[in-house]
Amino acid sequence: MASTHRITLTVNGTSYTRDVPPRRLLSEFIREDLGLTGTHVGCEHGVCGTCTIEVEGATARACLMFAVQADGTSITTVEGLACGDGLHPIQEAFHQEHGLQCGFCTPGMLLSVKEFLSETRNPTADEVRHAIAGNLCRCTGYQSIVKAVLKADELWER
Amino acid sequence: MGVKMMGARVQRIEDPKLLRGEAHFVDDLTLPGMLHAAFVRSPHAHARVRSIETAAAKAVPGVVAVLTLADLWGQAPKIPVLPVVDSLKPCLQRPLALDRVRYVGEAVAVVVAIDRAHAEDAVDLVEVNYEPLSPLPSAEKAMVEGAVRLHEAAAGNVAARWTHEYGDVVGAFARATHVVRERFKMQRYTGVPLETRGIIATTEPVSGDLTIWISGQWPHTQRALTAALLGIDERQVRVVQPEVGGGFGVKVDIYPEDLVIPMVAMRLKRPIKWIEDRREHFLTVVHAREMAFDLELALAADGQILGMRGQIISDQGGYLRALGTVNASLAVTGLPGPYHVPSYSAEVVCVLTNKSPCSPYRGAGGPEATYARERLLDVAAQELRIDPAELRLKNLIPPESMPYDTQLVSLEAHHVFDSGDFPAGLRQALEKVDYAGFRQRQTAARAEGRLLGIGLCAYIQIAAVGPYESAEVRVDGAGKVTVVSGAAPQGQGTGTALAQVVADQLDVPLDQVSVVFADTGRIPFGVGTYASRNAVMAGSATMLAAQTVRKKATELAAHLFEASAEDIEWVDGAAQLVGVPGKSMTLAALGKAAAPGGSRPEGMEAGLEARHYFETNTVPFAFGVHIVQVEVEPDTGDVAVDRYLVVNDCGRMINPMIVEGQIVGGIAQGLGGALLEELVYDEQGQMLAANLLDYQLPTSLDLPDVEIHHMESPSPVNPLGVKGVGEGGAIAAHSAVANAVADAIAHTGARVTETPLRPATVWKLLNAEPA
Repeated sequence: MASTHRITLTVNGTSYTRDVPPRRLLSEFIREDLGLTGTHVGCEHGVCGTCTIEVEGATARACLMFAVQADGTSITTVEGLACGDGLHPIQEAFHQEHGLQCGFCTPGMLLSVKEFLSETRNPTADEVRHAIAGNLCRCTGYQSIVKAVLKADELWER
Repeated sequence: MGVKMMGARVQRIEDPKLLRGEAHFVDDLTLPGMLHAAFVRSPHAHARVRSIETAAAKAVPGVVAVLTLADLWGQAPKIPVLPVVDSLKPCLQRPLALDRVRYVGEAVAVVVAIDRAHAEDAVDLVEVNYEPLSPLPSAEKAMVEGAVRLHEAAAGNVAARWTHEYGDVVGAFARATHVVRERFKMQRYTGVPLETRGIIATTEPVSGDLTIWISGQWPHTQRALTAALLGIDERQVRVVQPEVGGGFGVKVDIYPEDLVIPMVAMRLKRPIKWIEDRREHFLTVVHAREMAFDLELALAADGQILGMRGQIISDQGGYLRALGTVNASLAVTGLPGPYHVPSYSAEVVCVLTNKSPCSPYRGAGGPEATYARERLLDVAAQELRIDPAELRLKNLIPPESMPYDTQLVSLEAHHVFDSGDFPAGLRQALEKVDYAGFRQRQTAARAEGRLLGIGLCAYIQIAAVGPYESAEVRVDGAGKVTVVSGAAPQGQGTGTALAQVVADQLDVPLDQVSVVFADTGRIPFGVGTYASRNAVMAGSATMLAAQTVRKKATELAAHLFEASAEDIEWVDGAAQLVGVPGKSMTLAALGKAAAPGGSRPEGMEAGLEARHYFETNTVPFAFGVHIVQVEVEPDTGDVAVDRYLVVNDCGRMINPMIVEGQIVGGIAQGLGGALLEELVYDEQGQMLAANLLDYQLPTSLDLPDVEIHHMESPSPVNPLGVKGVGEGGAIAAHSAVANAVADAIAHTGARVTETPLRPATVWKLLNAEPA
């Protein structure tokens, strides 16, 4: 068996220390070692955006990072968006505007939107389309996602 | 009665757990002691398999087993073709290759290890001795005299061929003032759900029964065929479909891996997981759309269609799989579409090539036929110097002809259009888009060197298929309502739609209803989710089951009040004795009273529940018109979509929000096909687009906002009056966009006969030397 490395990182406010093989992807680590399966894997070559998470406050593709590269970082995944049993305002907006169908791209989409809306107020639809262009969705045709992001801008007090 | 749910824009009950990351897709499931599989796949498009050497792979630490077909099956089964035609030749695939491979990616052996990384390491160490054979990368090459034969049974590499005809075609062409001819090709593309395929199988230790979790679309068929091909009883197999991250038809199949993984689980007595990676997905998922149409249209001087004839060549790939005949069948029966075509003759030829097998993908033959017909109509309009809108209005089937028997019977159904006003739909779309105004703007823009185009498409969609769907409705002692259905959705929002139907029938709030799908352990019979069938088939089954529950509740209340059923009325969700407001029982109280041991009318079974099978092969047809405006950049050939308008008629709508989501989502896929997507194979049969960079899916920057207008012509063939809506967007968008690009450049002499219309293709059309 290959050697392992000890890493310590914080995910959704909880600190974890684990021994991982050097080739373990961060996406695999989050899903399999931590059991946080809300982060999905759609292509494993950094194109689809489904595995988008937040690392140190900025979005990153979990399939393009090794777990060892995340040693010492603080990470937010989709499971860390909402407080308690409710929905985060971005999630609520996606619910209201039918911004999801199968829901597979949704976790990554939500994290991209969170980063965008953290930096932008009152965006135009065109700005929203550019902001989510790195996240593929095969179900919605994006129209309802754009509406959801505009709605989220209204709902999210930040 | 509370707020009526039928027709309401209700937010989906499916959403919260998906939004919170708490939903479970197949790869999110982990079982104790689970092992992971990876497949050894052919690097050759066509080769003989001389030998397979597994010793080196087996020696890798962490590897548990390396298995070939001979290791797993004594007598290797073949995956059957389900809808058969008379001319069908057996060109069937085994779960793993026996002695020959016929497409790149075909599975040859399976490696099982403690995790996926170890399994993939060992795959590289399995030595397969191949003798390469000459590949057939296209239908043209496969049909050449003397071409290598891919399957012994299929002379000329033709797996099936058949003809549909009616009316006096020869007379129509003899009589015609104009005959328009063209050859159109549609490229190979497919659904590409963001969740790839995946399966987990395990044997349950106490009973020895097999449980399968699969990212699929038809669990009950999966159960039946898995049992048959593994040689065990159907009752020993349970198939469960967890959340599915998109299907679009490509998960309606019996894939080789779907049989291998359960077989390995039974052999090793360990849970086995296999999750397809994206490269495997492009190489081995079923493909679609690759057809060539040679068509002729006979018209009278005024543009009236007199007849249509032609031939369709369908590139099937290396094998005919379970639904391998369906695309061809729906294409050849779908060509006349919503138009009155008095005579028709067309042959379809299914040709084998060294590519991944083909099977239905969203629209299944509909997008192909619609594209060929709608392009041909535009070519005819151009040649006859008639406006394309006028040509269509002249030939659309008028409302007074409904129901309209097309005289065409596909493998799916007899095509009888049940209701609708097609000309009114087109007129409404033309008016909303200001068609006349656009033509003026187009002329003005051309004078400035700008290339504006408008594309029309009128389409019909077979909007459900039989033979049945199941639904069970049960009210428990707390008044909670559970619906269990054999439908197996992949994100369409069917749970919400069925909950709306039940909420109306039983007068309960939506949050009291929960819906369970796609588990053969929960309901004995079911069909699944494809062919836009959920609202029609599962919706009707649910409505009728709920009505039976309501009737039973009424009779039980009457019995308990010592009254007759006519004396019971329903007020605010409770059964009340007419005129006696104090004498009332809630649904919860009736659910409790219906439990075994209670007092019931003679002959009434215990339990406030009913199961209904909605059985029919008479299916509705949805209609729509799509109009697209584009601008082509003359220097680059780039296409910008400026406006997209839809008039849609899918009968009565259960939830317009979900309907619109289906339409826009379908358009995204059709537009992707028209402008971007292609599964490119080279001359050696190697796939050149096996990742998401080389296979270009539309992003948020490629798609327009879609403006949707509804018509609601209730279907007379089901109790809800609904028609399916899942595929219309994909059917129409490819043609409408192709027609818009063609319209933008037609005045230059360029004729669009192939897709996708990528910038380089359009540029070449614009800069071609005059013939």
